[in-house]
Amino acid sequence: MLTIAKNLYDYRELMATLAWKNVTLRYKQAYLGIAWAILKPVMLMLIFTLVKSFVGIESGDIPYPILVFAALMPWTFFQESTSEGVTSVVGNTALIKKIYFPREIFPITSVLTKLVELGISFVILAGLMVWYQMMPSIYILWVPLIIAYTILAALTIAFAGAAINVYYRDVGAALPVMLSLLMYISPVIYPLQLVKDKLLVQQAAGEWSDTLYTLYTLNPLAGIIDAFQNVVLRGAPPDLNAMIPGAIMIVILLPLSYLYFKRAESYFADVI
Amino acid sequence: MPVIEVSHLTKEYRLGAMQGLKQTLLNAGARLMGKTIPERPLFKALDDVSFAIEPGEVVGIIGHNGAGKSTLLKMLAKISTPTRGSVMANGRIAPLIEVGAGFVPDFTGRENVYLNGAILGMSKQEIDRKFDEIVDFAEMAEFIDTPVKRYSSGMQVKLAFAVATSIEAEILIVDEVLAVGDLAFQRKCFDRMEDIIKNQGRTVLLVSHNIRQVERICSRVILMDHGKAIADGTATEVCELFYQQSNSKIEAQAHQAAVAKVSGSGEVTIDSIDILDDHGHAVSEIESGERLRIRVRFTLLHDLAGLEIVAGTHRTDFVYISSASTHDFLPNMPFSRGAHEIEYIVPSFPLAAGTYSVRLVFLDKNWRHLFNGESLKTFTVKAKRLESMNSQWKMVDLPTEFLVDGQHYALQQKTDGACCAVK
Repeated sequence: MLTIAKNLYDYRELMATLAWKNVTLRYKQAYLGIAWAILKPVMLMLIFTLVKSFVGIESGDIPYPILVFAALMPWTFFQESTSEGVTSVVGNTALIKKIYFPREIFPITSVLTKLVELGISFVILAGLMVWYQMMPSIYILWVPLIIAYTILAALTIAFAGAAINVYYRDVGAALPVMLSLLMYISPVIYPLQLVKDKLLVQQAAGEWSDTLYTLYTLNPLAGIIDAFQNVVLRGAPPDLNAMIPGAIMIVILLPLSYLYFKRAESYFADVI
Repeated sequence: MPVIEVSHLTKEYRLGAMQGLKQTLLNAGARLMGKTIPERPLFKALDDVSFAIEPGEVVGIIGHNGAGKSTLLKMLAKISTPTRGSVMANGRIAPLIEVGAGFVPDFTGRENVYLNGAILGMSKQEIDRKFDEIVDFAEMAEFIDTPVKRYSSGMQVKLAFAVATSIEAEILIVDEVLAVGDLAFQRKCFDRMEDIIKNQGRTVLLVSHNIRQVERICSRVILMDHGKAIADGTATEVCELFYQQSNSKIEAQAHQAAVAKVSGSGEVTIDSIDILDDHGHAVSEIESGERLRIRVRFTLLHDLAGLEIVAGTHRTDFVYISSASTHDFLPNMPFSRGAHEIEYIVPSFPLAAGTYSVRLVFLDKNWRHLFNGESLKTFTVKAKRLESMNSQWKMVDLPTEFLVDGQHYALQQKTDGACCAVK
């Protein structure tokens, strides 16, 4: 633990520089520049709102566009930092073969990069809240914690994924598919409340309902997205019950994922 | 206490490519049928290498391609992990394994200096402090805010070199970076390296194919061959050994590589080509400046009224050395059907040590090519004396005299092969 913290501290400047590089590089030769970071969640929000007008999703007393935007923010952040993180090592082959620094810097930097974009979408969220005349409550102070938790969840996949991707590029190919599947079993398009109602209140799957719900919340994103919507839009504390199964999984898997990454690290330069 | 200690360092790689799903299934099938699957063989890039380097030493690492030099540097720079053995380093290591690693084309020179500096382990303050000096050295002040992708390759390398050499590390690892830019800049680079090495008292490990440079800069040289450190000593000693090794390797290769290139009408068949010594015995080696005798035996399919034979020699890289035609001596010489023998004689063949080949052309009186062949026979010219240091700088070995401050010197061959200067 201590060495990890020390490494992170020692290489903080490098990580900051690399993250800055990633952010600037993405938008350098693009006319719209950093605006792309905003456009993506906004477009998705518009599409989902359009879809919702056909299929009818119960969004409670929160307007659907802002609800889905608040879901898309942590989701997009998670999805992009995971996929960037997984490909980060292979994507930096030139550096890996030439210079040594702790390799975990690559996945971590990917996540940091995405954090900048997440920050930008907060501006949009604030605009939407003004538009819908919503006042943030004191619970908004939970946001940093929720984001920190999302980072850990993303790193759990990114570490192991990045290491395996060096040996088998299949991971990089499979990940986008897996992530889009994950989006449908996360409360992005629909609110978590719908799942709760179906399984916990109506017991739709009979005696399996409670187990199914626990399984559903094993996905850390279920708790994260719901908590984010709660603290920002609903003025309510996070639903910890929905977060605990996912959090337990992350606590167990993150160290394993990191250890695997560190073990594989020394052969990156040979295999890549 | 040594600053770098390498003990029993071994690195193995598995040869061949990764096996995909198809190969795995095929192997599984074969295993079920009771066949054994051949393991991919291991390759030892480094084989039990041990040495220690004291602070302030400047050590050159030389060897042929694939001798394990770069692998060794990678181990020292922690980029790769040894299979067995260990590498210990006390102090910050700056690996200049390849300058410009991590340059981003879309970034301006300024941005790249900061990025590259950070990658090489410099803090922002450190780069701030040295920024002007870096730009100055690279002669880039005018272009520093232009994206690097608009730079010429020479400009990129110059900037990269300037950044890389501004690191303040106790141990510098340098891999073939001295030869960058145009001649003037190379001179500057070289001076900078010498300054770093001689005046700042840092420990330097230098890998290079430029043996003269190594000889000049390094106090100690390690010669690598097939993953082993086969010599470790003073620069002059080890470099000399390397030169000798190099020469014999080139010769061996040339002999193997020389595949005869032949075309013709089929009217002439070459039966044998031999290099002869003074006694008429076939040899494969002559001494520089000795008489060269090439005997060619050939058979003609039918009578030829005016046959012209051109014989000559060329280097293995097809630089033509000599050529002579029988036409100059015997125009329209009639040849009858059947076997013949000619000898091509050069009374003194004063070429530098190396490997040479025989070339033959047969023409009829209408200048029709009956036979045209190159690399027909290779032979070696060996130096008269130990002159391996010079052999790469000359093509011919001409008799030389020097006049030094009015004193006349000439080299005189002694009977035992040694030479000395005489007035």
